[in-house]
Amino acid sequence: AGAAADPLRSLPSLAEKHLVLLRDGRTLIGFLRSIDQFANLVLHQTVERIHVGAKYGDIPRGIFVVRGENVVLLGEIDLEKESDTPLQQVSIEEILEQQRLEQQAKHESERLKVQALKERGLAVPRADTLDEY
Amino acid sequence: QSLEDCRLDEDEDAFQALGEEDEDIDQFNDDTFGSGAVDDDWQEAHERLAELEDKPAAASEQDGAGGDDADLLGDHEDTLAERLTRLVIESELEDPAIMQAVQTRTSAQPGGLNSSIWDSSAVLRRIRGPLLTQEMPPVSVLDYALPQRAPQNREEERDPSERALPRRSSSPVIGSPPVRAVPIGTPPKQAVVPNFNQQILCPKPVHIRATMQQRYPAPYGERMSPNQLCNVPNSSLLGHPFPHSVSPVLSHLQRAQLLGGAQAGRMSPSQFARVSGLVGSPLPSVNPKLLQGRVGQMMSPASGFRAFFGAPPAPPPSQPQHPPGPGCHLQSLRPQTQMFRPDTTHLHPQHRRLLHQRQQQNRSQQRGLNGSVGDRGGHRGSHQEQMRKDPYANLMLQREKDWVSKIQMMQLQSTDPYLDDYYYQNYFQKLEKLSAAEEVQGDGPKKERTKLITPQVAKLEHTYKPVQFEGSLGKLTVSSVNNPRKMIDAVVTSRGEDDETKEKQVRDKRRQTLVTIEKTYSLLLDVEDYERRYLLSLEGERPALVGERKQKICDMYDNLRGKAPRQERPSDDHFVQIMCIRKGKRLVARILPFLSPEQAADVLMATARNLPFLIKKDAQDEVLPCLLRPFSHVLYHLPLGTVTSLVQQLTNLPQSATAPAPTNLHLAAVLQNKFGLSLLYLVLSRGEELQSSEANAELLQDNPWTELMLLATRELLRVPQVALAKPVSPPSNLLSLFSRYVDQQKLNALETKL
Repeated sequence: AGAAADPLRSLPSLAEKHLVLLRDGRTLIGFLRSIDQFANLVLHQTVERIHVGAKYGDIPRGIFVVRGENVVLLGEIDLEKESDTPLQQVSIEEILEQQRLEQQAKHESERLKVQALKERGLAVPRADTLDEY
Repeated sequence: QSLEDCRLDEDEDAFQALGEEDEDIDQFNDDTFGSGAVDDDWQEAHERLAELEDKPAAASEQDGAGGDDADLLGDHEDTLAERLTRLVIESELEDPAIMQAVQTRTSAQPGGLNSSIWDSSAVLRRIRGPLLTQEMPPVSVLDYALPQRAPQNREEERDPSERALPRRSSSPVIGSPPVRAVPIGTPPKQAVVPNFNQQILCPKPVHIRATMQQRYPAPYGERMSPNQLCNVPNSSLLGHPFPHSVSPVLSHLQRAQLLGGAQAGRMSPSQFARVSGLVGSPLPSVNPKLLQGRVGQMMSPASGFRAFFGAPPAPPPSQPQHPPGPGCHLQSLRPQTQMFRPDTTHLHPQHRRLLHQRQQQNRSQQRGLNGSVGDRGGHRGSHQEQMRKDPYANLMLQREKDWVSKIQMMQLQSTDPYLDDYYYQNYFQKLEKLSAAEEVQGDGPKKERTKLITPQVAKLEHTYKPVQFEGSLGKLTVSSVNNPRKMIDAVVTSRGEDDETKEKQVRDKRRQTLVTIEKTYSLLLDVEDYERRYLLSLEGERPALVGERKQKICDMYDNLRGKAPRQERPSDDHFVQIMCIRKGKRLVARILPFLSPEQAADVLMATARNLPFLIKKDAQDEVLPCLLRPFSHVLYHLPLGTVTSLVQQLTNLPQSATAPAPTNLHLAAVLQNKFGLSLLYLVLSRGEELQSSEANAELLQDNPWTELMLLATRELLRVPQVALAKPVSPPSNLLSLFSRYVDQQKLNALETKL
């Protein structure tokens, strides 16, 4: 017997905007132009979207070729629902600044944690070096 | 002077060529020995030429600061013409083709060069011309850019250029496939616009260097080959942030027209900037829209085109070149009724529906916006529209998409999906049952649950035959995945008991228990699966299946209780060990339904006997409550005698003489644990049921049950309330149970405790 009907896991329609989440945590939005069996992607007019809190900022990046192993997920963006978001778009500078502050705060709390553990003579938990997220 | 004579005609024949050569030789002689050497200094001539080269660059830089395009271009073209003529005279180019090209350009110069290539505003005007007419020929945007529709000098200019340029299909471009009649990017259902190719293949301008041609692929929607697309000048794309992605579009088109001759590079960047400057300001206004996708599927190149034609929402007033009718142009460009239905059979039904819905919405939107536009003619229009909307949409051929889909589907092939993909299959079965149930009850719109239909591959039994070579001496074996070569001789040796330390023994014992659990689990899974297999099997096989199942159940029980075929079964040790492990407890819970009543009762007794110990061990896992349900099921089948002994076990009553009263640790432990208490209640309630259901008078008398109850109630009274755990579900008939044995006062006390 052969395949009976349409595969669910078909290729996404290659004319819609897509959102890609990468393993390093980046979010890319662009038009998916090409895909292959390893999930290598070619994204056109890509924009890297940085989210900090309820704000986000877009950095235009151009054409992206992503190696499949770094893709976490890929989804189509519903253009109608896209504008329907509680998130607020800000300028690139602002979002980068926000991100920097957030990183700073995180480092600070991490440092304090490590210090506290050390004081109590406990071991410092080590992150797995292969997958950070 | 002699060189001027060698102006080549169109129909050049060998004779003339020979004549030229003679003249060349004369010239050489002249230069070396004659007047040329004396009067005419080649060095000076060269310097003059060099000056001339610098001059237009300088001129353009100076004028680039302010001023009109028209003037600048006019200057530029004059100097170019001059330079060209001088080049012809001074150079010693021998290539007839090149010479020809140069000649024809210079000859065409007065008319063609002026108006067509160098005058960008004229270009634009010409572009706009056809657009404003109602009748729009179904051609691509590029055709607008390449001013061919325009009358006059087009014709004469085109001929020489075409003659000068070898046709695309025959030019030895390395790596590019031969040009197809059908543009590759066309979706299969589309008829092809035939004149497309030629126009794109032979982009307008005459250029000498063959290499330049690489830079004029049909960029948008007409994909010649991946190579060519790569050849799109990346220098302009690189380093350009997103908003400027439009300008490469321009540069292409501009360059396609503006480039003339070998001096292509002379067009300074500022020239381009000026020419493309007209879209400089619209860009920011266009850009925010690009990502927000407000205009349906509007894509940047498409909007870039619109911008190119100067049709942004807010046309900057300062630009003189700005076409006067942006609005109407936009409308005429706006996608018409979409006749084109792309091939979506490979998509999931829900996906396809969504897609079509969206398309319909877009269509209706556009119709609303653009009432004046009528039906622009079937397939061509829709292809056009698709191109306009998103020229990059067909970068992947349908064939390629299918190929990737096929690979993904191949990965799903399986001969036994139930085995390979158990959870997925089960999940969907459950869903289907749910929806079937809903359907039976309800009326409401059935939510369509289409599932992926994975390719079914017939189960083929292959017996693998290793490859044998003919004519070889002996049997040569080639090791492969199906026929692996033995690499290691691994011998299993069991260790002697004496060598081990206590720790090791303990560890081994635990390991042993784990192994037993695993084995029993496999048996359990098989047994649970029998029903399905039974349904699938043939009639003759069924008895065998049943027998197998029985055997497995027995094995499981043996595993649980520990095989001790010779003796009685005095030790619960094995069982207790299993019960100490979390997985073991769950295993027991799952096995219980399959056991016979006696076997199940046995298990229950063993549990009850060792309950405090088990409770202690379960402190961390807290898995014991999972046993409650199967235990209650078992209880329903038990006779009173068993129940009595169960209670005995649970409460450890009557206590042996050695145990100090009033402490009953066993009972205390049981009562303090949720599971223990619940179990006790269950058992008690069962006993009560049995008691009340049987009408024998003798039960009231000399009955172990009654005695036990008396004792039990006494104990319960004694236990402080705080020590009691919360049962899972307090059984309802306990009160009536107790009411038989105690008086009212105590009953109330008991009640509060419960």
